[in-house]
Amino acid sequence: MKVPYVEDKPTPGGFRTPSEDDLGRMIRDTVESWNPRRGPDSGPPPWLLYTAASAALVVILLAAFLIGSALQIGALGPQPVNATLH
Amino acid sequence: MTDERELDPATEFRQLYDQQYLSVYRSIRGVVLDPTAAEDLTQETFVRAYRARHRYTPTAPPGAWLRRIGINLAISYLRRQKLARVLPARLYMAPDRRDYDRAEARDVVTKAMTALSPKLRAAIVLHYYDGLTREEIASVLGVPAGTVASRIAKAVAIMRKSIGSDQDLGPERSNSEGALRGR
Repeated sequence: MKVPYVEDKPTPGGFRTPSEDDLGRMIRDTVESWNPRRGPDSGPPPWLLYTAASAALVVILLAAFLIGSALQIGALGPQPVNATLH
Repeated sequence: MTDERELDPATEFRQLYDQQYLSVYRSIRGVVLDPTAAEDLTQETFVRAYRARHRYTPTAPPGAWLRRIGINLAISYLRRQKLARVLPARLYMAPDRRDYDRAEARDVVTKAMTALSPKLRAAIVLHYYDGLTREEIASVLGVPAGTVASRIAKAVAIMRKSIGSDQDLGPERSNSEGALRGR
């Protein structure tokens, strides 16, 4: 279909047909309603994830140290001393 | 192009990603009209752009560079999948009668866009959504500005005809006219 292009002369709308300006607004409105389900704005930022993960790791290590010390288990418990001297 | 500041893809790719992701996604979706495929193709666009970031030459804004990659990917995708001919039947669903007028008008526009070829859809989205000039669209699509002008004119004529005929479907569709003409 060959359609001549007329510059700077928007086509007026009829009773049922939208004008070119209306059509442009409709297209813009439609496209602006399209949002991706994932992307840069979905989910927390990486720095927050890394900070939270680091803090959780520190808490876990500290708790393990305190519990190990209190219960004297593993390497934090009393070590056998070799009393035999040569 | 609506970039507040032109970012350098080689050194500021993360910021470029944040700044351009949504508009690149919408431009690609305007071509493929499939939200899931558009998301995959947007990711692919940024992956390819990241790999080529050191080869970017500032002859065009980085946003136009990304759109060129994305739209070429979208058109290739449709060609590869041979979806262009089945899109109208596959994508269009009758609007929910509970929707408001604006949502209904969006459905009408989406349906009208399915009547266009992918190249016409690309020209329409870049012109009316991204607000690019014919010369900028020509740069993105790699065609002469005159071709862009005729593609836009052809797409507008087809869409107006499609929307106009959509309003002639019968009394049950007549309520949507307020959404189309009242804005």
